[in-house]
Amino acid sequence: MSLAEGWYAVAVADDIEPGTSAGTRLFDQELVVWRDLAGVSHVWEDRCPHRGMRLSFGFVRGNHIACLYHGWAYDTAGQCRAIPAHPDLAVPETIKVATYHAAEAAGLIFVHSALGAEAPPPPAPVPSGRALRSLYVDLPLRSVAAELSKGFTRQDDGSYAGTLAGVPVLIFLQPFTASRTALHLVLAGPGDAVAVSAAGEALRNSFEAAPHSVLEAAE
Amino acid sequence: MRERVEMVFLGDFEPDSFAEFMRHRARRLSISADARRIDATRVDVAVEGEPALVDMFEMACSLGPIDCLVREAYRLEQGR
Repeated sequence: MSLAEGWYAVAVADDIEPGTSAGTRLFDQELVVWRDLAGVSHVWEDRCPHRGMRLSFGFVRGNHIACLYHGWAYDTAGQCRAIPAHPDLAVPETIKVATYHAAEAAGLIFVHSALGAEAPPPPAPVPSGRALRSLYVDLPLRSVAAELSKGFTRQDDGSYAGTLAGVPVLIFLQPFTASRTALHLVLAGPGDAVAVSAAGEALRNSFEAAPHSVLEAAE
Repeated sequence: MRERVEMVFLGDFEPDSFAEFMRHRARRLSISADARRIDATRVDVAVEGEPALVDMFEMACSLGPIDCLVREAYRLEQGR
């Protein structure tokens, strides 16, 4: 199964506070999601060009993220601006992290899967929507989509609309790996968030308990 | 300031793999790396660029790609 090019939710926006970073995956590609101190979120390849260390293990200082390994610091465009071991070196423009287009909508951080390419407009905001949490299912995207389609309606933006615990919700899917999918829950109306969260967990458990074909599981 | 050095790597090489590794690293570091000899046991390369970046290239190549094993690395002007 190949990854369809487009926007994918990769994190609940509130989970990535200014000055922090986290690692995630989009169909096995390792990504770092980080937020600078100005509040802007970024999604990059999770790999320092120096030695390949995960930048998600690094630390954010102002509008730079620095690698934990040797401190190489990258600006918000992914350009290396400082190498601590060589403070007088004019860092060449070729030392740069691969960056993706990122956007926030519905309380989620989205990434466009095409590396460096021009991206279409990001997903529209959800009126009064509030991101609740992320759940991870040990099933491929296709299996999760098939299960969701039994009780939810697929929207133009790729999300699934329905209700959990009687509350209207949207579920955005993230193909985490070939065999693992993240569900990002967004409350689309007022309701008991704790009950929705519990219903989401029950939904996840029901997906994993349902029989799936060997072919599906092998995707 | 730029410097030009002749580097030698001795070990067990997949020549195509090591050549591509050197090209990739040189491109990333904005230095020139002109391979003079690449065979199964030895690589000679002329490198030119900022000294700090040349040092980084040497360190990267001394680790090399996964399918090559560098046993020794030195510079010709060091008298070897």
